[in-house]
Amino acid sequence: MTLAFSLPPPTDSPLSRLDPRWKLAALSIAAAFTATLHTLSAAVVACVGALFLAVLGRLPGRWFLQRLGAASLFVALFALPLPWMLLDEGTSWSLGPLRVSQHGVQVALLLTVKAIALLTLFLTIQATAPLETNLKAAHALRIPSLFVHLGQLSYRYIFVLADELRRLRVALRVRGYRRGMNRHTYRTAGHVAGTLLVRGYERAERVGQAMRCRGFNGQFRSLKKFSTRPVDVLVFVLVAASAAALLVWDRYPELTT
Amino acid sequence: MSFELAIQARDLRFAYPDGASALSGVSFDVAAGESVGLVGPNGAGKTSLFLCLSGVLQARGGTLRVGGLDPRDPSQRRHLPSQVGIVFQNSDDQLFNATVFDDVAFGPLNLELPPDEVRQRVDEALARVGLTGMEERVPFHLSGGEKRRVALAGVLAMRPSILLLDEPSMYLDPRGRRELIRLLHALGGTRMIASHDLELILQTCQRVLLLDGGRSIADGPAQTVLADAALMEAHGLEVPYPLRGDDR
Repeated sequence: MTLAFSLPPPTDSPLSRLDPRWKLAALSIAAAFTATLHTLSAAVVACVGALFLAVLGRLPGRWFLQRLGAASLFVALFALPLPWMLLDEGTSWSLGPLRVSQHGVQVALLLTVKAIALLTLFLTIQATAPLETNLKAAHALRIPSLFVHLGQLSYRYIFVLADELRRLRVALRVRGYRRGMNRHTYRTAGHVAGTLLVRGYERAERVGQAMRCRGFNGQFRSLKKFSTRPVDVLVFVLVAASAAALLVWDRYPELTT
Repeated sequence: MSFELAIQARDLRFAYPDGASALSGVSFDVAAGESVGLVGPNGAGKTSLFLCLSGVLQARGGTLRVGGLDPRDPSQRRHLPSQVGIVFQNSDDQLFNATVFDDVAFGPLNLELPPDEVRQRVDEALARVGLTGMEERVPFHLSGGEKRRVALAGVLAMRPSILLLDEPSMYLDPRGRRELIRLLHALGGTRMIASHDLELILQTCQRVLLLDGGRSIADGPAQTVLADAALMEAHGLEVPYPLRGDDR
């Protein structure tokens, strides 16, 4: 189960050779601008751009598609009902007893395409540098230590919590527990979730104590040294400018015609 | 042996916020260079005592000096991590960085040492625990014994004068335990080892402090205290195998 959280070994690619600070800043700006797009056409261009960056980053295909597939299932939960829920005065079609609105379809597509673009950018950041390098780059970009530590500890303890969940599931199974669509299953799932939360809280206390015992005072410290080359700045400017241009096209299409 | 005191505790008291008393007037001294075993049943107060000595919990009453510092004084407590190193029961609580190198470097970086010295200390600490060459390994993919050694290296890299080890043999297989005992012999220095593994205590400590219910019950040579069958029985412990007579 914990393999689902594993990061791929960083590949040698044009993106992985960039200074992680500039790369993180560029892709974060691209992600922020993508998240604010309103039109489907702009979102599709952003998605194509993100996929181009993923190709440039030489992301392992299987690893990328597995994560994209899992995330798409989650997005589908929200996107699929929209054509039926967002009924307005505009164009609509009848599917048997149900009405499907054009507006709803557009919003569902916009949501899905933006989610794919954002996830692709996120996975590109993950796959083109080790996690600790990205965290150090984030800290170098003045992201507060608290958030950097939260990222670091969350990733670290996913594995420990997943292990605890695995042990709990074994403990349930050896006592004859079988999942079903019934009250007993829901109650058991609630108890397991509660137990994990309590154990997570207790562990957080102990981890905090261990950190304080080694002189931790809230500051993120690292030996990592970054160096900027002209190509880092060039890639940053290209990505950020493209994302900004896309946002302008999205908001003010009349300026580009 | 030097008679300079590394730890001086008089009438230490501590209660958790829910009112449960963990320490009720514990008193003892540890001389510099001494190795003291801390034994007692579950809930005796062993971990709470270690957390008080390392300044994580604030003990009340009495006197407490650890490495010449008072852990209860915030201005002195800041210097405590360079004096006292604690290795926790569960190494997973102590290893949170993405690589072994980063984890061992965590403490020295917090001491704000120059980068070259941090690297030197990490190399030295990993060599002492026999993990040279594992710098780039991911800590959570290591075996239990390796995790324990990384946790110990993380503490050794801070060069503390006092080492506190809480259940160091827990989760270790027999080979890992043997390696740990060898390592403890090689480490030297002032140390306190809390454990239910009384054979490990017997092999690594000259003196034993027995706690029960937050009180110090006995304090004396390991060979004498651990061989007292009535005392061990009364406090939920057993005489370790090497000290048992033929009739047992």
